[in-house]
This record gives sequence, structure tokens and C-alpha cells, in this order.
Amino acid sequence: MIHNLEPVHASKPINFSKIFKRIPFYLLVSTYAFVIILPLLTLFSASLRSDADLYAPTFLPPRFTLEPYRLALTSYPLGSYLLNSFLTSSLITLGVVITSSMAGYALARVKLPYRELIFGAIVGLLLVPGEITFLPLYLHVNSLGWLDTYTALIVPFIASPLGIFLMRQFLKSLPQDLFDAAKIDGAGHFRILWHVAIPLASSALGALAALTFLGAWNMYLWPLVTTQSKEMQTAQIAVSNLVSAEGSQWNVVAAGAILVLLPTLVAFLVAQKAFVSGIALGGLKG
Amino acid sequence: MNQSASNQTPASLAPRSSRMKHLKGEWLEGLLLLSPAVILLLSFIVYPTVSGAFLSFQREDPFGKSREWAGFANYLELASRPEFLSSMMTTLKFTLLVAPLELLLGLIAALLVWRPFAGSNFFRTLFFLTTAVPTSVAAVAWGWFLNPLSGWVNWFVRALGLPVQPWLTDPSYAIWTLGVITAWAGVGFVAILLTAGLQGIPEDLYEAARLDGATGWVQFWKITLPLLSPTLFLVGLLILFRSLTAFGQIHLLTKGGPAESTFVWVYRVYQDAFFNFRFTYAAAEGLTLFLALLLLAALQFRFFGRKVHYE
Repeated sequence: MIHNLEPVHASKPINFSKIFKRIPFYLLVSTYAFVIILPLLTLFSASLRSDADLYAPTFLPPRFTLEPYRLALTSYPLGSYLLNSFLTSSLITLGVVITSSMAGYALARVKLPYRELIFGAIVGLLLVPGEITFLPLYLHVNSLGWLDTYTALIVPFIASPLGIFLMRQFLKSLPQDLFDAAKIDGAGHFRILWHVAIPLASSALGALAALTFLGAWNMYLWPLVTTQSKEMQTAQIAVSNLVSAEGSQWNVVAAGAILVLLPTLVAFLVAQKAFVSGIALGGLKG
Repeated sequence: MNQSASNQTPASLAPRSSRMKHLKGEWLEGLLLLSPAVILLLSFIVYPTVSGAFLSFQREDPFGKSREWAGFANYLELASRPEFLSSMMTTLKFTLLVAPLELLLGLIAALLVWRPFAGSNFFRTLFFLTTAVPTSVAAVAWGWFLNPLSGWVNWFVRALGLPVQPWLTDPSYAIWTLGVITAWAGVGFVAILLTAGLQGIPEDLYEAARLDGATGWVQFWKITLPLLSPTLFLVGLLILFRSLTAFGQIHLLTKGGPAESTFVWVYRVYQDAFFNFRFTYAAAEGLTLFLALLLLAALQFRFFGRKVHYE
């Protein structure tokens, strides 16, 4: 294994035997990575094929075409589904960031009666998965008259026990002096939250936002049961509909799936740090 | 405090009441900060959980209009239904495959990339990538990957001289195939968590082991595994929850079939509620799943919790 080289070693001549020793390792890691992403690569390859080339046994498409993408976007209006997913996921993320900072701050920094008890109860809610509550939640949302609206897709998810937990832990870990100084200046808690806590928590908030957006974008069961009209359905449901509608047109289905993957994939590649720390925090502390 | 000891004098009363005033102001601010989240959690997590529990003890007329108290009738019914019992077994089988496989695949990835090397960021990106893949996309990718006509898996099988397998349409394979797909989809998630766990192990332990002449194999069993065990334990718990509640990939690829061989628990709840319109019965199935989840989590704590090595 190569370690971070000390500055002293930096001027050393290149050690060829060491590089040779690394070859098996690189072969191993490349093979494993290739096997892991192979299903995605073959999906991408299928999305670039014409109907005639679809079953040609080659890794790359014999002739490249963007026709499947055109079909997925025109004959099947994937664009509007993607827009719905963007809208709902962004608003859920915004809501979670706001409610989690406020509640996390209150539980970490405000002297409230029964503070630890409230926090404990919120942590307990981490044990309740959405797949357990979806049926009574559906009946609840139905009685509110929200079915097949953006409200049903957004409002039930703008407070997150995990988000509150993460923000509380983060804000609790900050040194007390930072808050005392603001208090002596006579600032109230809302001002301290806005001017002191939020700026300090920007990386934690970024990680929480990435984690939340990913979760919202991936939601499947909930939009499946609460939306009926095409105008309200999300990208995940669009993929499911595409499979039923164009089941034999695998190139069009593949193009649609790649279009649904693209936003989260690009977000992941651009903000990998936020995603990775969000998932690591959410998993290890949650 | 001296001041409160002599609280008879009016002079000490003034700061005290102002302190009370200040505390009340602090409570008010705290409540204002806390209330949006608490109200939302109460209405959209606590209320549905409680009302779901109530619902499961009720009976409804065929139109779902009126409901009445029914005691344990729904629970007695599901315990006597072979479909429900077979859904339980299917879910258990599925979880028993997914949990160890996902953990193993993710652990291999994490062990390969947790230390920095030339190109480690590139490989980390590739391994972590599946976290960004939505369930529906993972399902479609594998549907194509396993396609009998074109899928790479079947090309590979044919190259080995074996017959092409209907991975998703044969009742004896389908649930295992879905398990592999689910484990694959979780590789990135597990790799991220275990990489973080591995990086938390103090490097000087490895230095000391190397000085003592311990091989990589010995280091793995004596240092890595024991010190990673708290992380492995938590990841195991998360995988347990995720695989017991798997739904999207099954809905998209097999719809519970062939011959109900992939009819997992959540799918049963979905089917009974939204196709058979038996909400109270489905609520009982849902609550039973919740109890099973908590029970399995408790069992994991009981059997592995003590063996976990904490620093």
C-alpha cells in the first residue's frame, strides 16, 4: 500500500519495483470497479442503439444514434415528469434544511424544559420507515383532499427526524463561546441561529441537503400511490410507466432511465464531498 | 446561591423575576423554533403510525365507508392465510441473501479504496456511484443486463457452455435475482460508510503491527475487523431495514410474480390496500411488518451487539 509520501521522500528516484508490485492491485481494483458499473454501462450502450442494432452482441453500439432519447422526450413526455421531480425534491430539501436547522438549534442551544426527552422521542422516530406508515399516511392525506397534488408529494416530508438529529449533534459540538459572545451583544435566538449557527453549519447543511435531495428524488412507493394524473407523476413513476408502455423498446426505456439517472449522477459527481459526508453522517449517526 | 438564600429582601426579588422573564422569553423562542418540525412530525409520522395501529383492530364494510371495532380479527386472519405466511418467508429469504451479500460487496470495495493511492479518488467515485442510482434505474439496468436475448449475464453464461437462464421469470430464481440486484444497488452506500469506518481506525496500530511483522491477513483479522465491527454492526442494521422494506425494484421488475415467488411483505400490504381495498387488513399486515422489523433489530443487538468491539 502506498502512503502519503513525506516531503523528505519526495526527491527520491522513482522506485520501479514498487510500481510493479502495485500492478496486481490495480488489476484487482479495476476489474471489480468494471464489474460493479457494468450494468450501467450496458444500459447506456442500449440507449444509444437503433432498433436494428439493439440486440447486436457488442459492447459499444455498432452505430451511435440519439433517436431513443428523442423518442423518450417527445413520444413520451419525460420532460414534465423530470420537472415534477425537480420541483418536489427541491422544495422537500429546502423544507428539511429549514425545519432541521431550527429544531436542531432549539434542541442544542436553547434551554427548554424536557429538551432531552423531546430529542429522544425524535430519535425514536428514526426507527419508523416510510414503508410502514405509507398506508395510514395515504388515508390521512386522502381525508385532507391532497391526493394527486404537489402538496401530498412535498408537505409530509419537509420535517425529517434524521435532519433534526444531525443538526442538533453538529450544533451541540460547536464551542459555547461562539454563542456566548452573540448573547452578550443582546442577540435573540433567531438572530444567533441566522448569523452564527447557519454560517458555521454550512458544510453540515450541504451534506444534509444532498442526502435529502437524493432520498426525495428516489421516492417510489409514495408517488406511486398518491398520484394518478400524468401532470403530477414523478420521474421514478415515469420509468415504471415507460417499462409497461414500451416494454419491448428497450432502447427507449434505457434512454428514459439514463435521463432519470442524469440529474442525481451529475449532482453526485459535482458535489461528491457533500453526498459522501451526508451519507456517512446519516448512516453512521442515524 | 447566596442571593436565593436571602430571598426575603425585595432587592433580590427584582433580578429573580427578570431572570424568570428571561427564561420565559427563552422558552418562547425555543418553542417557536421547535414547533414547525414537531407539528409536521406529529402529523405525518406519529399520527399515521398510531392511526395505522388503530385501523388494524377495525373492520370495514366492502365499500370502505364505515369502520367498526373488530379486536384481533385481522391478525387472526393473516396468521391463517397461506399467502401472508409465504410473503413472510419470501421477505426473510430475500433479507438473508441481501444482507450478507451487500455487506460483502461493499466491504470489498471499501477495503480496496479506503487508503489514498494514485487514482483512489477515481475508483472511489466508481464504487460510490450506485448511491446516486435511483431504484427504478437500477431495476431497468438489470432488466436489460439479464435480458435473455441481449443481456451480458446470459452471454457470459452461454460462453461457459451453460443454458441461458430466465433469471426474472423462473419462480425458483426470481427472488434470488432480485436479491442480487438489491445488494448491487446498495454497494455504494455500504462502501461509503465502511470507508469512513476504516479511515477512523488509528494508523499507528497498523504501524505497530508491521513492526511486529504481522502480515496483511493477520492485520485484517486482528485490527481491521475488530475495530470496524461497530460500523459493520450499524451498516448491518441499516441493510436489514432496507431489505425488509424493499419495494420499487420488485414492483418494476416482477410485480410479485412469477407465481407470487417475489411477493414480499411490503408488496402484500400494497396489493391488499390498493387492489383489494382491504385497508384495515393491510394495516394489520403493515403493523406486523413493523413489529418484525423491531424484533429482528433487537435480535441483531442481542447476538452481535455484545461482540462489537468499541474503542
